[in-house]
Amino acid sequence: MKLYKKEGNIVQILSFPNETAEKGDYLLIEDAEAGKALIAQVIDMQFASVPGVLEELLRSLPDGGELIQGEDFDPLEIAPHIIYIQDASLLICKIRATVENDTLSPSSPWLPSRSRSTIKKLPIPTLLKLAKVDGKLPIMIGSTKDASLLTVDASSLDGKLNIITGKKETGKSHLSKLLMLNLVGYKATVVVFDLNGEYVSLGMTSDEKRNAYHDKIHVLTPAQNFKVALKQLNLHVLLGILIHALHLPGTSAREFRRIWQSLKERDMLNMRELGEAIRNWHCNQHVRDALFSRYHALSNSGFFSDEAAGATQLEECLFRAKEQGGAIIINLKNTSAIDRQIVVEYVLGKFVELLTNWKLKAVFLFAEEAHLYLRETYWDDIVTRMRHFGIFTTFVTNQPDTIRENIYRQADNIFLFNFTNEHDLEVVSRAARVDAETVKSIARDLPPHYCLALGKVVRDFPMVAKVKALDVKTMGETRLFFKETN
Amino acid sequence: MIEQYTIATTPKYNFPQPTIDTTLPKRLTQLSLNSLQQVQNNTIQLNQQQIQQIQNPDAYTQNFQLKPQPIQLKPNHEKTIVAAVDTSSIKIGETATGILVAIRGATVWKQNRKYRYLRLGPFIFHMTEENKNQVCAALRNTYLNTLNEPNHQSAPNLQQVPLRLASTLERWFQTMLTKTMANSTILFDGSLTSGTPDTPTALLKEILENARKRGNVVLAFSKMTTLRVNGHLITEALPSHEPPYLLETYGIKTKPPTLLLGDVYVAKLTCGNCAFRLDIDKHVPNEQKIRTVETLLTNDLLTQSYPETLRLAHILCTFTANEVIAMQHFLAKRHRLRIVNRPDMHRLLFGPFGKGENNA
Repeated sequence: MKLYKKEGNIVQILSFPNETAEKGDYLLIEDAEAGKALIAQVIDMQFASVPGVLEELLRSLPDGGELIQGEDFDPLEIAPHIIYIQDASLLICKIRATVENDTLSPSSPWLPSRSRSTIKKLPIPTLLKLAKVDGKLPIMIGSTKDASLLTVDASSLDGKLNIITGKKETGKSHLSKLLMLNLVGYKATVVVFDLNGEYVSLGMTSDEKRNAYHDKIHVLTPAQNFKVALKQLNLHVLLGILIHALHLPGTSAREFRRIWQSLKERDMLNMRELGEAIRNWHCNQHVRDALFSRYHALSNSGFFSDEAAGATQLEECLFRAKEQGGAIIINLKNTSAIDRQIVVEYVLGKFVELLTNWKLKAVFLFAEEAHLYLRETYWDDIVTRMRHFGIFTTFVTNQPDTIRENIYRQADNIFLFNFTNEHDLEVVSRAARVDAETVKSIARDLPPHYCLALGKVVRDFPMVAKVKALDVKTMGETRLFFKETN
Repeated sequence: MIEQYTIATTPKYNFPQPTIDTTLPKRLTQLSLNSLQQVQNNTIQLNQQQIQQIQNPDAYTQNFQLKPQPIQLKPNHEKTIVAAVDTSSIKIGETATGILVAIRGATVWKQNRKYRYLRLGPFIFHMTEENKNQVCAALRNTYLNTLNEPNHQSAPNLQQVPLRLASTLERWFQTMLTKTMANSTILFDGSLTSGTPDTPTALLKEILENARKRGNVVLAFSKMTTLRVNGHLITEALPSHEPPYLLETYGIKTKPPTLLLGDVYVAKLTCGNCAFRLDIDKHVPNEQKIRTVETLLTNDLLTQSYPETLRLAHILCTFTANEVIAMQHFLAKRHRLRIVNRPDMHRLLFGPFGKGENNA
């Protein structure tokens, strides 16, 4: 390989057919005399602009597109050299860092010698070691293309905002399960908004036996084993549900506040009494109707109970997870859109309450397709305000445009699976921790189950890895009509 | 390998299967390897003016005329094989003691609506003042002596060596074609002028005689000509007549020892602006000459009055820049020649006003 050109932080390297390099590979451009080296990542590959190639191709197709047949007597065997030159490629590489005395610096204020520099592939383990990617709490993501392991540090997810995105069936949920279980393994408290019931069997192996996480996975299904009693609710949490999930107008909310205070003073906070109070409350008929319709929505959700027994489940699970680590799976599979919002409003409100009072240290929240249950104003809340309380969110989505641009800008880590759609790539490339060229070029060619890890988790050295398999019972399979015939 | 040249297709157009003389290609390979072995571990200076093609200049013409009445051609649908030959040479670099030269030749034939080719080379030579006579003599002895040709050829100067080597290969190709094909149209690149250092008269005579013996007719197309009538190039002073047609010349005389072995025509075979000088073996009867051109009209594709078979031969033997780089790579890898880029003195001295050594 030969250094050909440098423009900005892009270097072009001439590579010959016997030198294999692929998109995502790292190269070390070493200038021994300068005592420095550049670390560059291949983000695209092109044919080298070899003069005469067009003529070469044209003369093989002179007969209206039909190949001309013939014999070549090539006594000196020049033909392999012609092919060698013709197949030379140009590697478009992004400079990631400079190495000097085994120390990395992210800038590249120098130019290596074009004639003296030696260029070789930089093995991923060496790069990981140089970049100090693996830490005290390793999470093995999978294997890189050169069969080495990509291990990241769990602490690089701590206090961070993460995004896992890619098109359907590329392995997003698989990676989120892997991260989640590893965090649980390090005694972290993890909460998952499980939209499709994919996470409910994480405590079982693929052959339906209990695994090491079995006792740490707590599945809470709203209206079944997950209910709340009004007594345990704070007014502001319930108002949040009424206003944001059920769109209660301001005037009616004020009346509701009075009803709530009245019931609370009489220690009569339960669903039956709430219904009665609304019925008998002296107020405008429209307000009463509005409150009644919301009351029925709350009541029909089955999420609110007058019995305190089922109502303490969430807190219990959280406290248990606090001690030994655990995952609380909020199973939203068979929950209607309105009920989903009610549950999510409640859970998030509860987190803020528990975290504010330091009853919980921190929570890793995994939110699948969050746009389906998260109200608009919560996005900013989660990534800014709630992060300070200790809610560290990982968004998982196959529709990157459903996540706001400002969230991409604040994302600390992005795990990117394959996208072919330009629009999707454009959205993801707005992330602050990565350059658009890398995202667009590498993500487009990622095979299924390969992910491009970007951000702090890989010390800003984008890395491609095949996500390792998990021995857990899969629940996210799509129901198929022709499954048996296939 | 050479035996594959006489491929068999339909019984009617089977090439005859004589023993083809492969001495020349073998000798070329041997001389090439020998010359390169002597230059190992040397440095080579890249050459900036590279692509070369054999061009036979039309020297020595006297006063002559074009017959005013064109010979109108009617497409003749009789099936015949059309074959063409061309070679090219290129200087691929310089060493301290000489030049590195590559030559290649190609023959293309059209049979049953398909084009096929045979390509020999590239042969790379390191030519020096010391070995140029030896190499040229060796080639002459290997090939020309087999034709019992008395040898009057002088050794060329070093810059002419590439053309001399390529012309030797071209004559060998032409001989092989005329010996192996029958009742075919054979297209040469250039004219049928003999008596030049590159084209000894006896050799060209023998080639044409071989062709006639086997019922072949040789048509030689010149891409460039300097023949002028009343001050105008013969290919430009054309009557307003519907092509295809030939314009016959008469009264062309040559200066000894140059000899013209063909009758010279101007061929305008298709509509468009192009016409070419066409030499047809003068010992072929006139009717056959015309009939051969008429069969060419239907048996080959003609673009801008130029036969596709000959165009392909030219394309296949011409060196592309990619191939030149590949040959330089071969020399660097196999013979450990270090390539150095000598600064261009014109550029060095005159900066943007220096247009390079070759354009000085």
